[in-house]
Amino acid sequence: CHTSGMLTPNGKEYAQKIPREELTHLILKLLQAWKEPLSHFNQHIEHYQELPDDSLSKAKQISNMVHELKTGVEKSMGIISNSLNGMESSEGTALSFGNEANMMSDSDFIHCFRRDSNKVQSYLKILKCRIMPENSC
Amino acid sequence: MKQRFISSVQVILQLALTTVGLTGESYPGKPQIIRCRSLEKETFSCWWKPGPDGGRPNNYTLFYSKDSEEKLYECPDYLTSGPNSCYFDKNHTNPWTTYIITVMATNEIGSNSSDPQHVDVTSIVQPDAPVNLSLETNTSANMSYLWAKWSPPPLADASSNSHIYHYELRLKPEEKEEWETVSVGMQTHYMVASLQAGVKYVVQVRCMLDLGEWSEWSSERSIQIPKERLPPEKPTIIKCRSPEKETFTCWWKPASDGGLSTNHTLLYSKEGEEKVYECPDYRTAGPNSCYFDKKHTSFWTIYNITVRATNEMGSNVSDPHYVDVTYIVQPDPPVNITLELKKSIKRKPYLVLTWSPPPLADVRSGWLTLEYELRLKPEEGEEWETIFVGQQTQCKMFSLNPGKRYIVQIHCKPDHHGLWSEWSPEMYIEIPTDFRVKDLVVWIIVGVLSSFICLIMSWIMILKGYRMMAFILPPVPGPKIKGIDTHLLETGKSEELLSALGCHGFPPTSDCEELLIEYLEVEDSEDQQLMPNHDTPSRNAKIILKETDSDSGRGSCDSPSLLPVKCRESRGLPSSLQTQDVRAKEKKGGKGSWEAQCMASEQKTLPCNSESIKSCTWLAAQLPSNQPAIFAYHSTVEAFKITLNTTNVNPSPVLVGNEENCQSLYPIAETLYDDMEKISEMENSKTDQTTVQVRQNQHNEKSPFLNPKLMDYVEVHKVRQDEEPTLLLKHKENSGKTKKCTVPGANKEYTKVSTVVDHHILVLLPDQRTQNTPVSQEPVAETAQNLQQSQAEKNTSCSTTTASDSRRDTSGSDYMDPSSFMPSFK
Repeated sequence: CHTSGMLTPNGKEYAQKIPREELTHLILKLLQAWKEPLSHFNQHIEHYQELPDDSLSKAKQISNMVHELKTGVEKSMGIISNSLNGMESSEGTALSFGNEANMMSDSDFIHCFRRDSNKVQSYLKILKCRIMPENSC
Repeated sequence: MKQRFISSVQVILQLALTTVGLTGESYPGKPQIIRCRSLEKETFSCWWKPGPDGGRPNNYTLFYSKDSEEKLYECPDYLTSGPNSCYFDKNHTNPWTTYIITVMATNEIGSNSSDPQHVDVTSIVQPDAPVNLSLETNTSANMSYLWAKWSPPPLADASSNSHIYHYELRLKPEEKEEWETVSVGMQTHYMVASLQAGVKYVVQVRCMLDLGEWSEWSSERSIQIPKERLPPEKPTIIKCRSPEKETFTCWWKPASDGGLSTNHTLLYSKEGEEKVYECPDYRTAGPNSCYFDKKHTSFWTIYNITVRATNEMGSNVSDPHYVDVTYIVQPDPPVNITLELKKSIKRKPYLVLTWSPPPLADVRSGWLTLEYELRLKPEEGEEWETIFVGQQTQCKMFSLNPGKRYIVQIHCKPDHHGLWSEWSPEMYIEIPTDFRVKDLVVWIIVGVLSSFICLIMSWIMILKGYRMMAFILPPVPGPKIKGIDTHLLETGKSEELLSALGCHGFPPTSDCEELLIEYLEVEDSEDQQLMPNHDTPSRNAKIILKETDSDSGRGSCDSPSLLPVKCRESRGLPSSLQTQDVRAKEKKGGKGSWEAQCMASEQKTLPCNSESIKSCTWLAAQLPSNQPAIFAYHSTVEAFKITLNTTNVNPSPVLVGNEENCQSLYPIAETLYDDMEKISEMENSKTDQTTVQVRQNQHNEKSPFLNPKLMDYVEVHKVRQDEEPTLLLKHKENSGKTKKCTVPGANKEYTKVSTVVDHHILVLLPDQRTQNTPVSQEPVAETAQNLQQSQAEKNTSCSTTTASDSRRDTSGSDYMDPSSFMPSFK
């Protein structure tokens, strides 16, 4: 996966140890890393004839969701400025990410995306329960 | 005393003697030679069995003779072969001679000898079994061999080892029954191949000399063949599970171990790394498992796990199993399931089910989020109802029936990819039945009331059902003709009928006038008697346009057969009535006129032809038996007027006036003839093209003889080109000489009417009797009046007879007799 290079906590303890901001940053970084590859992917699969119609729309939907999630996280965490910084640093990597992503096969792409989205989900949940422990935590 | 002593001594002596005699004072029993055997053809032995003991110790001696020699030898050796035996050593044994052996038992008393035994040495050779049987197994190249060794039977004389024995070996698996026998030859060892590994075998050997019999089998020897030794088969990894998304365990299944103890090792490597690790913990999760604790568990990385089985012969590795721990999370079932019954005032009580997540799952930190699902079913039910609850840890259940027992279970799964946990143990719910007394009472009251009402209703129905039916479905009244008694008609008494008709030729009485005034009620029902309706107030030119029920009489009126007659009648009525009335007025005493009048009145007017005017009125007069006909007369003129006014001019080919006549009641008018004329003129003027011109007969002198018979005929006028043909009612013209009454002077042509079509069209028959018989379809003209007038006149005198004739004629004629179409009158 093109995001394998990113250092992400791969256990509960590690994730809990990370300070909040860093975790948020990580989340955003991850989301950012997928923005381009997703759009590339959408373009790529449009040429596929065999795919059922809802797959294409679903893929687009997912890209939108990722974007919205990123925006939402940014807004809720109120770290637009930080994200800008992060963006700069990650922009460079984003390009490389994009290149790497292009070389992956479709199934690998999907597999990587699945994993990363699971990561994001878990981090966000931890974040949520840290910030607002009263809601079903 | 002496004698006693002597006698006792004698007794004692005798006793002693007898006892001595009893104790074995006999010679020994006969011995018996059991067998003789030679071990190696050079020596042999014989054994005998002693016979019954004679009481004293016996001495046994064996004597033998050779072949046919006489000389008896005694046994050379009694000892070597054991008691009761005789051993013949080499010197005494001659294989080619036959020995005759006897054994004699001797004791003090006497001796007894056995039967002689002929012994041929060569035939009694049987060696001993071989000895020292030893077994060995040898496994080479996955084949196991059995190596057996033994020694020949020992002999007393060691020097004579030159005997050649033949050997036989037999073996079998220990549990089996059947022996496998192998002929070995003369060697004292043997190798057995093709043995089953892992089986214990039992082996025996025996031998034989070239002569004689096989020896006994040697004692058994057994040996275990070792099992095959193989390297182990490939184990398989069954599954890997993480109960709380922090640790995980993998289980594998070993395959056959090749008969040897095998060791299993689990090896894994992580995605992206080359290094291979071994399972950190084989024990915690049980046999054939590997437990990865927190330190060794990494998420979002794929583990490559394999298991290796090793034994002495070799090792085998399972297929690799790739697993990412995030996706193998299967939590434990939820715990602490509690029920609470919440009663709300307004509604039924409901149940709140609460539970808590499994203890290991860390829901607090949000690391693992669980979703729950309930399932519910009544205790006796078959199908579960599954309710997805989401992430909440409680559920409110409203839809349970009180009094029933339910089983409920919960399970959970992680909110992302994961597996459902096992179902929690069954929980039983029973909701107390909440019978509100109020409800019950209400229902009871309602039930009782309704049953009561039903009872009452049914009673009413039973008692007054008949009336109710009458009320709901009122009967259709039939025409009533005053003066005509159906029963009388049925009975067929002409006299009575005529009397009923009231035309017996009596002078019109005041009663008659009364009758005249009254109007006739018409009923349609056959069952009912035709009741006269004495409507006394309505006298004197009251036009009672009694319209009977629209139902009534219509049908009958509409019947084609009736129509012409009806029309005739109707048409005839007014005129006849007129005339009658006139006559009545003029000559009230006139019987004939009265008759005519009465007759006229008796006529039944039916609605003619008009489809629109369908009302039909029957003059039904029931006459009292002794009374003259009661007629109700109406002012013809008025009737006409009324009819003219009331009826619409129909396009149907019916005379308006006549229609009106038909429509209205029986206007038995009292109008004058003049009026009649006027009306007829009016009618004429009103006629349509299609209507038939009303012709008024100027035959006033003819009393309208409204004989039913009269109705049969229609007088046919010549058809003018520019006019519709007109019809005049004709009365019968010489219809058989049976008719006494013939209309005199009828120059008109009469024709029979065959049928009536469309209720208003008469189809005439070509009249055989008349010359000019236009057969035409004509609307039923309402010239009845004219005809009737004329006919009435003519038939005045014949009223009675014609009446009777008419009646008589009904059968089978094609005349339209009222009787023919009025079934009630038959």
